[in-house]
Amino acid sequence: MIKKILDRINTLPPFPVTVNKVMQILQSDDYAVRDVVEVIKRDPAVATNILKICNSAYFGPHKPIKSISDAVVFLGQKQLSKAMQTASAARYYKKGKRVYGADAVDLWEHSVAVAIMSQILMRQIHDREDENLYTAALVHDIGKLVMGEFVEEETDQIFRLVSQGYSFLEAEEKVLGINHADLGGKIAEYWHFPRELCQAIAFHHRPDLLSEEEATDLPYLVYLSDQYTLMMGIDGGMDGLAHRGIGSVLERFHLKEVNLERSLVQLYDELNRARELMEMQR
Amino acid sequence: MGDIVVGISDYKCSKNRDDVLVTYALGSCIAVVVYDPVAVVGGMLHFMLPDSSLDKKKAEEVPAMFADTGIPLLFKTCYSLGAEKRRMKVKVIGGASILNDDNYFRIGQKNITAVRRIFWKNNVLIEGEDTGENYNRTVRLRMMDGKCFIRSSGGMTKEL
Repeated sequence: MIKKILDRINTLPPFPVTVNKVMQILQSDDYAVRDVVEVIKRDPAVATNILKICNSAYFGPHKPIKSISDAVVFLGQKQLSKAMQTASAARYYKKGKRVYGADAVDLWEHSVAVAIMSQILMRQIHDREDENLYTAALVHDIGKLVMGEFVEEETDQIFRLVSQGYSFLEAEEKVLGINHADLGGKIAEYWHFPRELCQAIAFHHRPDLLSEEEATDLPYLVYLSDQYTLMMGIDGGMDGLAHRGIGSVLERFHLKEVNLERSLVQLYDELNRARELMEMQR
Repeated sequence: MGDIVVGISDYKCSKNRDDVLVTYALGSCIAVVVYDPVAVVGGMLHFMLPDSSLDKKKAEEVPAMFADTGIPLLFKTCYSLGAEKRRMKVKVIGGASILNDDNYFRIGQKNITAVRRIFWKNNVLIEGEDTGENYNRTVRLRMMDGKCFIRSSGGMTKEL
């Protein structure tokens, strides 16, 4: 079974080259808008999505943006990079694809919510946003998407174990031999994501298992964003809250419960603005 | 007629027997379901947090976000549709927690405590309760007979 699942990774469409190219251009502070526009225009699927995303309330233009070049100018370096990641990741979560008895679009909504939560926490803790964290949070459950194709029959078994007190992750390992986080890390490697991102995805439920030097803020913030989104009930219709809590995470960031309750209020506000992003697959 | 969806930090009331009130995927949030069988008036609240003192301004804008501001609103709206307190049946669903949470992620538990305290103070009996554990719940209230159905993230449906 594990082999079958791992083999499936190689048949996944590669993460769009367009994104890597744009990211490269964006790395230089004096990038030319024209260069970015050229690259995006060559990928019609991404181009269409960029316009959709750019016009969503989350990115918030005052008047409708109709051309890619206006979008690139309006978004600017940081927001453009997020919009690009969103546009590219979206293509994997197609309506109608079954994942653990739910639909891939439900998982997409969960993923967008976690990405948004990650930026709320980042602002709260470090007073800035972070595009890498956004990407890791957005695709943290990509392993589930692949796993979902194999677990039609095993889903019941997994849920049975969960009802006996196993965590969702432990149940996956017991039934399938691998959990969706590990699998996601491998997919990220296949996509040539930076190592820190691969690890953040692979350990998004258990950042406490990383060695001291590998345990950067990234995996912990993905973990926390995911937990809080799950608590809001936005779970993509699958694992609910059957995950192990890691108490030390709040100490690490000097957070109190009240901070987290406030960030949930903020998530509620931002989700209302991100409706279009969440529903772009429907 | 049909499904009337109650979002997060939202509430809906109805006196139409053809309606079904539904809220999807309660995690640590809680649904309060009320029903007056004589007036055939029902309502559902999906609140997120226990106490509006966290953010007074938000509570004014979105009272259904908090237990202490949402519950009175739910009851008052049902009264305005003809329900009477003494006849209203109350059910409480949700408030899930993650596993071995070390008391750090206690929102689910705090929500359960808040809702119980509010009803106890107001002499309201909670007739049915399905709370805690670690799965998400979808709740439906069928207006025609006041029956309340809960589906868990594992896929099982039961009547409360």
